[in-house]
Order: sequence, then structure tokens, then C-alpha cells
Amino acid sequence: MNRRALLSLLGASPALLSSLPAKARQTQSRTPLAKPSATQPQVVGLNPKGTPPPIQLIPMAPRLASLDGKTVWLVDTGFDGGGMLLDQIRLWFNQNLPAVKVIFRRKAGPYMEDDPALWKEIKEKGDAAVMAIGH
Amino acid sequence: MGIPTTPLVTRAFKELAILNVAKRGMPELRITFTPHPVASKTPEQLRAYVEGNDPVSGKPMMKEIVGALTDPLSNGEKKTGWVHVSIGPERYGPDTPKNLQQFYLDNGMTDFLPIIIPTEEEVSEMLKGTSHHPDEVVGKMAGGAYPPWSYTVKQVAINAVMAGCKPEYFPVILAIASSGTPSLMSSTNSFAYAAVINGPIRDKLNMNYGIGALGPFAAPNAAIGRAWTLVSRNLANGGVPGDTYMGSQGNNLNYNNLIMAENEAASPWVPLHVQKGFKAEENVVSLFRGLGIVPGQGARGTSTDTPKYEEQFSDLFSVFTGFFGGLVVADPLIAANLKERGYDTKDKLIDWLYKNTTQTVKDYKSRDFAYGFDYPRALKGLEPYKTWYAMSDDAVIPRWPHRDDINVVVLGGQTNAFFQGGSLSYTVSVSVDKWT
Repeated sequence: MNRRALLSLLGASPALLSSLPAKARQTQSRTPLAKPSATQPQVVGLNPKGTPPPIQLIPMAPRLASLDGKTVWLVDTGFDGGGMLLDQIRLWFNQNLPAVKVIFRRKAGPYMEDDPALWKEIKEKGDAAVMAIGH
Repeated sequence: MGIPTTPLVTRAFKELAILNVAKRGMPELRITFTPHPVASKTPEQLRAYVEGNDPVSGKPMMKEIVGALTDPLSNGEKKTGWVHVSIGPERYGPDTPKNLQQFYLDNGMTDFLPIIIPTEEEVSEMLKGTSHHPDEVVGKMAGGAYPPWSYTVKQVAINAVMAGCKPEYFPVILAIASSGTPSLMSSTNSFAYAAVINGPIRDKLNMNYGIGALGPFAAPNAAIGRAWTLVSRNLANGGVPGDTYMGSQGNNLNYNNLIMAENEAASPWVPLHVQKGFKAEENVVSLFRGLGIVPGQGARGTSTDTPKYEEQFSDLFSVFTGFFGGLVVADPLIAANLKERGYDTKDKLIDWLYKNTTQTVKDYKSRDFAYGFDYPRALKGLEPYKTWYAMSDDAVIPRWPHRDDINVVVLGGQTNAFFQGGSLSYTVSVSVDKWT
């Protein structure tokens, strides 16, 4: 399933991915109402859903022309196996892109908590980051 | 952070990852996917992942990672602005009740059981159960790490109607909704939720706290719990498999949750809400979150040749993960016996349980929750985790980090001295009276 189909599940139009974000408003019910019978009593049901918050689009950070000579932070979020996976990625960089400096860090606190001190360190000293693992 | 960043996510969480980054304003975030699972794999197996392909794109994984950090941005990736997500029309129909039942079902707005169609008339009737204005914002809720949805009194009323509630139940449902606690959580663990109701409202609503208190034997017990699930599903967009629900096996208790009206009259101890700081005459709902509840034994707990009740509680809790608290749900017969034997307060029983329900450090460290949650806390210097992780493997420590992780509730019809043990943590107590 591609991102456009998935976004329709969110209730957002695939126009979210286009250059016209204002059009990303209409949601589509997965199954429309069946054609009613004229002889049976009819009622109106109310929508039981809550109100989702508006979404502020965040532009991606400018990309690097190359990783050569750059420092990449490998951040372990704390899920089981993530640190070991990142260690293999570190070894891959050492063997295949030796011009890339790699630094490993385990994020402080459980996986769902922010680590502002680490973000600050990476922003000040790093050029890029890889975070793992989402499960 | 303002620097190129790419997350790695295992293939099983592709849909969740894409939807969640979109909800946070980054619909085109460059995510690299790995085979699933990553946990419990050897270094050699993980090396193979790294040298292999991204299972979603089919391209070499490391090429995807490097490209995520270096390929020029598209116009879409540079976009700013706001997106307002619609939940669809305010009304459905007019149509036959049968067609509308199918519509609500097909569009993920039910618990897969027939609902009461929430017509304007039904909802207006439900709104008579509270003095609060229909447009008043009750709270907000998210069943996971995504931005919460908000809801009004009327929106809660619509779900209460669907669940089969009567207007007199409505203040309890509003109290639960105001807590922002969902009963459907997105974790791969399949969480269970419980609500303990205290105060005179139990009798006003004819809630059952006698024979079959935890079973399907009273309308308010059934409907209040069901409303909590529908509220979590519809008002918070919770419980959508693959998006906001990832429980690997699911939890049967989610159908209507564990609704417990404490048998205050038959209990020798103060009720739960008084322990949490409320007055006995106040109506309160206290919420719990965890993994579920398991029947214990009881019965022969007063014999000289069988374990005492408190020892049986401890034995049952010894197989629970200590990540969640322990909830003792005791029949009044057991509570009376414990009091006779010197546990004249719940606190004394809790003190005994905390001291005598233990584990080795080795066992503690081996648990998934300890690795994922407590170890990071230990690294931050938080206690008791920091001290526990510094101890030897054969050292003995309490089952729970804190004594307050243990709670006791009394309910049941006294046909026999049985009990149940919940792997459940107390979260919050909310006034029901506020919502009348």
C-alpha cells in the first residue's frame, strides 16, 4: 500500500503530497451508505468521531551533497536490537565509507521520551543522524 | 534538529510509521525499512539485514540510508503551512436502521457488535444526564504517541448512546472521558484497562458489586465499559489496527473493560477513593492500566496447612511482570478474614505484599519491560532503577519499584472466599460529581 492510499485512511487527501495542501481536506468513508428502501422507516445517525488537531507541515532539513568528511550520529532509541543493528551499520560505514565519521549514542530515557540534551549535541556537532529502531 | 535525519523502522510498522509522521506534519519523511523483527537477532543476522535490501523499496538498505541523507529535497518535502483533517459529515442518512448499522460497522465506528443508532433524539435524551453544555470541551485523548483528538460533551454523548447507556450513566462516562485515558492503546503489548467506581452512585445506577460483579450481570457495568471503548475508538481515533493499534494478540477485556464497583458496605476497609483522597460520600471513578486480571484461589486460606491469603496473593503476583502494579480484587470474605488476622487496614496488607513479593535482580533484568523502560531510567540516575541495576544478579529486590504500585479493591457476593489478581497500575481518580 503506498503513501497516498495510507493517507486516505488518515482522513487526509493524497493532495497532502501535492503542491496544494489546502486541498487536503476531504475524507472519504470507506463504504458508502447503501441505497435506502422507500418503504422502510428511515433515521439519521450522528457522526461519533472526535476532532483531530490541525497538522502543521514541517519542511525537511536541507540535505548534504555527500557524507564524505561528515559526522553521522547513530541514535539508539532503546527498542530491543536497535543498538546491535546500529553497530552493524557503524561497521558498514567503517568498511565501505571510511570518510564518514560515525558516532553512536543511546538516547536517554525510554523510547517515547525526548532527549533534548542529545538533540542539542547532535545539532551542534553532527551533520546527519540515523535513528533506530522503530520496533 | 534541523539536520538531515532518517529513521529506521521494521517492515511490520510501515503503515503506522507513515501515518504517524504524516500526523506530525512530515508526510514525506524519508523512512528506511528493515526486515522484521530486529529484536532477538544475532549480530550476523543483523549484518545480513544491513547488507540486504529495504523490504519496502527493494533497494539496498544502506543505499536508502545514504540517499535519505543526501538526495536533494523535492518540492513536497519543502512545503509549509497547515492541513485541517476532516472527519466527514455531521450526519449520516436518512437511511434504514439496518443500513446505518452496517455503515457504522463498515467504517470502523463500532466494536463489531450492534449499536444503538445515535439519532438526534437519542443524543438529546443522553444529554439530560448532565448539566454541562453540549459544546463544552471535555478533554482530549490519544491512544498512542500521536497528537490527541479533542471532544465535546455532545460527542461523548453520541458514543454513550451507541454503547447502550442510559442518561444516568452519562456523568461516569464523562468523568472517564475527561481523564484523557483511552482503553485502546497502540502498543504491541495488548493492554487492558479497568475502572473502579466508588460512592453512592453505584447504588443509584444499580451497579453490581455482588455475585458475578466482574461478569455480564448488570446493565451499567456492561454499558459504561463498552462506552469507554467506543469513546477511545471514535473520539481518539484509537483501535485502528496497523495505525493506532498494534497489539500483537489483542486483549479480550477491551470489549467492555474491567468495570468494578467496589462492595463498600461489605468491606472492612476504607474504599479505594477514600485512599486516594476523596470523601466517602463523593462519587469517583479510578482508572487502571495494565495487562489483565487472573483468578487466584483463596478458599482454604485459613487452614493451617495451606498458604494464607496474603501468601496466595504474593504467589500470583510473582509471575506478573513488575512493570505494572498489582491490584488485589478480594471477595469480602477474604477481606474479613485478613482483618481478623491483623490486617485492619489495606495499608498493612500492601506493606506485607511489597516486602514479601520479591524477585532476583537476574530475573528482573531479563524482562522486556525492564530493558525498554527501567534500564534507560537507571542510566538517567532514577531510583530505584539505578540501584537495582548496580546490584549483583542474585540480590533480591521487591517485585515493584514502589509500594504505591499495589492497590486493593473489595468486591464479590461472598458465596466463597476467592480473589483475582490484576497486573494493573493505578493511573488517576476523577470526580463523577463534577459531571452531573
